[in-house]
Amino acid sequence: MKAIQLTVNGGAYKVFCPEDITLLTLLREHLHLTGTKEGCAAGECGACTVIYNGKPINACMVLAMEADGAVIETIEGEAKDGVLSPLQQAFIDCHALQCGFCTPGMIMSARALLDENPTPTRDEIVHAMEGNLCRCTGYEPIIRAIEQIAGGAQ
Amino acid sequence: MYAFLAPKTLEDARGFLESRPNLKLLAGGTDLIIGLREGLVTPDAVMDVKQIPALTQIRQTEDVLEIGAAVTVDEMLRSGYLSGPYHALYEAGEELANILLRNRATLAGNICNASPGGDMLPACLVLDAWVETIRPDGGRRIPLREFFMGPKRHVLASDEMVVKTVFPRAAGKSAYRKKKRIRGHDLAQVGVAGLLGADGALTLAFGACGPTPICLDVFDTNTQSRAEILDAAMNGIAPIGDVRASKEHRQEMARYLTEAVLDAIEEVRV
Repeated sequence: MKAIQLTVNGGAYKVFCPEDITLLTLLREHLHLTGTKEGCAAGECGACTVIYNGKPINACMVLAMEADGAVIETIEGEAKDGVLSPLQQAFIDCHALQCGFCTPGMIMSARALLDENPTPTRDEIVHAMEGNLCRCTGYEPIIRAIEQIAGGAQ
Repeated sequence: MYAFLAPKTLEDARGFLESRPNLKLLAGGTDLIIGLREGLVTPDAVMDVKQIPALTQIRQTEDVLEIGAAVTVDEMLRSGYLSGPYHALYEAGEELANILLRNRATLAGNICNASPGGDMLPACLVLDAWVETIRPDGGRRIPLREFFMGPKRHVLASDEMVVKTVFPRAAGKSAYRKKKRIRGHDLAQVGVAGLLGADGALTLAFGACGPTPICLDVFDTNTQSRAEILDAAMNGIAPIGDVRASKEHRQEMARYLTEAVLDAIEEVRV
């Protein structure tokens, strides 16, 4: 067991945890932030996407110990004061989710894209979302939801 | 259960290489963490190399381009250095998985994983890259053309660590083309890189066409026709059939992608 400190959604955490767990396990089982989902746990599906020091990554592909000192954003930080972000609302408006399991990862990949490039083209959106799999929607509504935000105010 | 080590200097890293015989190195972790999870590797300690400042640098001098072992593929792509003769590295990096993994995966990790189909490897081979390593008692320089021993096997000793990949100054134009099933997710069924020097010398390298990445040099585009080059290149590879593609498909694709690479780098020469 080792102590690490990290910032998650603006809050500072000090966690005492085993050395052999992933960041995903740390978020879900130690910080109880279960919005980040475990899909494949092998870096394939993107369900566990979080923003890690400004970059979108798979939380299953990072060891918790590596995150000592890291600044992390998860889906729990997206809504403010109980109000969905425009990006979350666009997903609902565009029917960009059905079962919802991939949605936290989709939103975090889209958030990372929009933070870096507020007006991405359709091609840039498709490229940025390549790491996130969805078995329900066929992707088109997800791309439309992000396009809607890219074309308007966030 | 393993211990997590994160040295901040090369000297401390050397110390751990010496004192921890069952150590695994962690750069991007995109292969190691899957192995840890599935119990395929069971180290006593995992050593994260990303806290060592010297390993996070990309540097270009008169003579070389150096990429530190902790530099991610995305950082390479954004560096602005991968143009001209190094363009194949850019195209290979762009083809490597997706942005979530490119933000973690490193060139040194791709090399040390030693997959026959590793996306960055054909480009490194045509550019005649080498790695520089440290060991408890020193270090050495290993040309990548002598690095790979077989699938997932290389010449590094168990107490040896790559600190940087170095590309000698090059001239000319390079390209990389990859056949895969699903963009963003699949490993290469076949990958082909080519470098055409200003003097007409052509070097080709192939991923997933043998037990290791294969480098074939040097063809002479001044005296050999394209058909002669293609025939000779196809005789130099030995693809097998596996879960990703049949042997026959790989042979066809290797020829097709070699032509595509030549189209990209030969320009008016065709």
